[in-house]
Amino acid sequence: MRIRRSAGALIVAAVVAVLAACSPAVSNDDTGSTSAATSTDSAPGKDAKVVGVIAVGPKDDFGYNQAVYQGVEALRKNFPDIKVLDAYNIPEDDTAATTMESMVAQGATIIFATSYGHLDAAKQVAAAHPDVVVVHQGGLLDDPAPANMGSYFGSVYEPVYLAGIAAGAATKTGKLGYVYAIPIPQTLANINAFTLGAQSVRPDVEVTAVSTTAWCDPATQADRVKSLLSSGVDVVTQHQDCTKTIIEATEAAGAYTVGYHADASSLAPKGWLTGSEWNWGPLYTDIVKTAIAGKFTGSEYNANYRANMASGKNPFVSSKFGPSVTDDTKALIAAAAKKLEDGGSPFTGPITAQDGTVKVPAGETPPEETVEQMDYFVKGVVGTLS
Amino acid sequence: MSQETKGTVDGTAAVAAAIVATAVPAEVPTDRGPRISAGWSTALRWLVAVLAGLILFSAFVLANGADPIAVYSDIWTSTLTQSGQFQQIILRAAPIALAGLAVVVPARAGLVNVGGEGQLIIGGIGAAAAALWLTPLMSPWVVVIAMMLSAMVAGALWAGIAATMRLVVKVNEAVTTMLLNYVALYTMLFLILGPWKDPKALGQSTSVELNDAAKLPVIAGTQIHIGVIIAVIAAIAVWFALTRTTWGFRLSVVGGNGEAARRAGMPVVTLILTALLIGGALAGLAGFVQYAGMEYKLRPTFGLTIGYVAFLASWLSRHKPLPLLVASVVLAAIAVSGNSLQINSGLPAASVNILMGLLLVAVLGWTSPRKATS
Amino acid sequence: MIIDLLAGAVRGGTSIMYAGLGETVSERAGVINLGTEGSMLLGALGGYAVTAHTGNPWLGVLGGAVAGALLSLVHAVLVVSRGANQFASGLTLYFLALGVTALFGVSYVSTQINAFDDVPIPGLSDIPGIGPVLFDHDPLVYIAFFAAPAIWWVLFRTRVGLLVRTAGERSEALGVNGYSVKAVRYWSTIAGGALAGIGGAHISIAYADSWFENMIAGRGFIAVALVIFAMWNPIRIMAGAYLFGAALSLASVLQTAGYAVNQFALAAIPFVLTLIVLAVLGKRTMLAAPDELSRVFDNSRTA
Repeated sequence: MRIRRSAGALIVAAVVAVLAACSPAVSNDDTGSTSAATSTDSAPGKDAKVVGVIAVGPKDDFGYNQAVYQGVEALRKNFPDIKVLDAYNIPEDDTAATTMESMVAQGATIIFATSYGHLDAAKQVAAAHPDVVVVHQGGLLDDPAPANMGSYFGSVYEPVYLAGIAAGAATKTGKLGYVYAIPIPQTLANINAFTLGAQSVRPDVEVTAVSTTAWCDPATQADRVKSLLSSGVDVVTQHQDCTKTIIEATEAAGAYTVGYHADASSLAPKGWLTGSEWNWGPLYTDIVKTAIAGKFTGSEYNANYRANMASGKNPFVSSKFGPSVTDDTKALIAAAAKKLEDGGSPFTGPITAQDGTVKVPAGETPPEETVEQMDYFVKGVVGTLS
Repeated sequence: MSQETKGTVDGTAAVAAAIVATAVPAEVPTDRGPRISAGWSTALRWLVAVLAGLILFSAFVLANGADPIAVYSDIWTSTLTQSGQFQQIILRAAPIALAGLAVVVPARAGLVNVGGEGQLIIGGIGAAAAALWLTPLMSPWVVVIAMMLSAMVAGALWAGIAATMRLVVKVNEAVTTMLLNYVALYTMLFLILGPWKDPKALGQSTSVELNDAAKLPVIAGTQIHIGVIIAVIAAIAVWFALTRTTWGFRLSVVGGNGEAARRAGMPVVTLILTALLIGGALAGLAGFVQYAGMEYKLRPTFGLTIGYVAFLASWLSRHKPLPLLVASVVLAAIAVSGNSLQINSGLPAASVNILMGLLLVAVLGWTSPRKATS
Repeated sequence: MIIDLLAGAVRGGTSIMYAGLGETVSERAGVINLGTEGSMLLGALGGYAVTAHTGNPWLGVLGGAVAGALLSLVHAVLVVSRGANQFASGLTLYFLALGVTALFGVSYVSTQINAFDDVPIPGLSDIPGIGPVLFDHDPLVYIAFFAAPAIWWVLFRTRVGLLVRTAGERSEALGVNGYSVKAVRYWSTIAGGALAGIGGAHISIAYADSWFENMIAGRGFIAVALVIFAMWNPIRIMAGAYLFGAALSLASVLQTAGYAVNQFALAAIPFVLTLIVLAVLGKRTMLAAPDELSRVFDNSRTA
């Protein structure tokens, strides 16, 4: 009996192994899936009927992923004949690849991978399907990019720099707080830009940067904020995916808030200064339009596309001002914004790191790619990078 | 019911029957009559349990405004019968099966190893360390073997912490292995955001990518890498060790009645230690397979939830290595179906956890041997 | 800085204490529930949702207790009535709760609620030093000050407590005297889940005033470990819970002060600390375990 049962189990195992060794012939939907493109029209994404979007978090986090969702809704509005598949809470590992593959299997020929850590999965899917346009939000691709891939982002640190000016002008204690997740270059660029903006108004300002190790952990966020506030910080901003907890805690303590990712001014009616938020609709729409026309390869999107304020198309925009921002401050910010629109950068030298080394000599401006690999804090930031 | 949905129900029942058929418990009377009915009654109970789980899940689906029949048929068409997706299922099942073996072996000795999640991560770290140090020095095949051994040793040592605590201070391993999972995660995060951060990753927080030649080879014409074969071989090896060797026999005595084993002169301490160490090594092997076969680099979500799903798989298969393979495929299929659930039915990805949890709750509740706790 | 750390310890340890007290009751009766983390998650979401719909955080606390108790009821059914392995059942329910709360919590991520406000106790909160540490918190923290002594009193000075402890030490004695061991274990497990639910609700309606999936982040498992080295004694639970609250708060305090400590080391501290304490105290504490529980620990049946 035992032998027969074991034999039965072995047969099952053998079947599994055999199935693994040869791919089943069944395939319901063959449009555009797997292996070499046999379509006569080889422009990736041309005449797309289905677009896929994956996001790392929930669609109503008052932050990053909510902005993606708003972009998806804009796509649905602007392209009523296209089916937009969207999936949320997709972690940054091979699950992302599986999900994107599944969308391709359902006919998607344009895919948006919207989280920083989705890059590897996006590259994998792009390599497997040359007829599918895969665009990644926020990452950096090797130069030259594959014919069907591109990355896109805005110069997020620009509105953050402007918000820093508002913070520097508003603070009474001279201490600002920044809550972040992990020290990725985007975050460091933000923190540094914020600090530089504040320093332009108040040179002795101090920015305490604390990390939560997670992109959305309300309990940890609450604890960090409490600690910052009790140390004398009176303006708090953040680089987290969900922004509600920190903003509410800051407002309850009577301090000022600078928002990020979304307009959360309703959460902080008194303390809201300004912030930055995403407006993905126009950019998403333009990418899809370009791809549908068969013009993706060789376009500006078939590269590391970064829209800054100078181009007029930065998808990251300043949020509206709160009640307490003075006209003088608004004028300062408008002047600084004009400089950025004219091609300036918050990181034009001299930029000194915490340890005193000069990272950007006076008068020089680092190119975008250098900024996106930033690995230090500027002087004036309290906090360590280990 | 339409032809399609009927096919779905049949397919589900077939899978359930497969689990059932290979998971009949060992205590069966020897004469013809009762054996047949005992076997069938167990099979029936399993079927009821699985279907109960599915029905409960359908209730959740309805509560979320989706149509259960449509959901199941969607899973069938867009996941289970798609060549690419099916291969993804097999690929995902391999580390689950290996991490499941990490639960099976200690379970034989009556131990509860929940640390598969962390032991897998430590195994991945071990493999990455070997790759990091040896790639410039040795040929790719040596690197692959070194990675595998390093991962297994690392996983074993990590489980060894819990084993030592169990043996020396008598703290139950379920608690310690669970806590060690969190420590393993933070250890990995520290490494990939610190000393092991890939300077060429253009800002991404990952470790250096594995050299192409050291990646696990793929079976021609498919996406399946040989890690799948490793998993099957490991399952057969574990089955053999547990049912055909003295060591395996002794483990089950310890698991049945530790006091009796001690009185019979068995080296209980050594047996418990080896059970946990081997369990850790198997989870480490899962980490190696995931690293060298799928991910090629360590990243913040490396191995996420594989250990927990493997725990469920081991329980679903009543800690039997060969049915474990089937259970792993079933759970992997559910995990991959999560895509279909999300994309087409609008259900959040977490629904997958619910389905797995409900299945196991139903199985635990309906198929446990009747045993009073007083 | 020390003041901040101690205040954070009290604030952060409260939820762990509630869960630890609940698990103490359950384990005293002979049932270990690794699903405590799941009960806390359900309590956090249940509490948040009820507060959002009723506008009353106290009803939220009640909702959280009920939600947590429901999960532990399932655990009791599986373990007490069906004889399932206690560890497997608890962990499975944790996994299930993780999925259920993620699913049903989606619509509450951006909801605002009328959360508990900090209520500084007039007079006492002005005392330098211990004022901000002990007397400037939300109501659930103040209740927790009395919860541990109250649970201790119930367990060791009332007949109900005697029944619970007997179920865990010598369950045959209950049957002989006409009590049902199963009933006592059921109620103890349910009470454990209810208290864990309150602990979870504290995090969402008082501590963070938000809901997000998986927001309990391991506190439930710390609570289970806490019960072991507090030797199943409610008063020690209180002390241990505050110790872990401090470990969790340490990261905030050190970072704000600008100290160069690796953030992942800080995040791991609560768990490493738990392991170290278990390693150091383990042998002595395990000897203090209720007899029936010892049997569960020694020979966790897998059939």
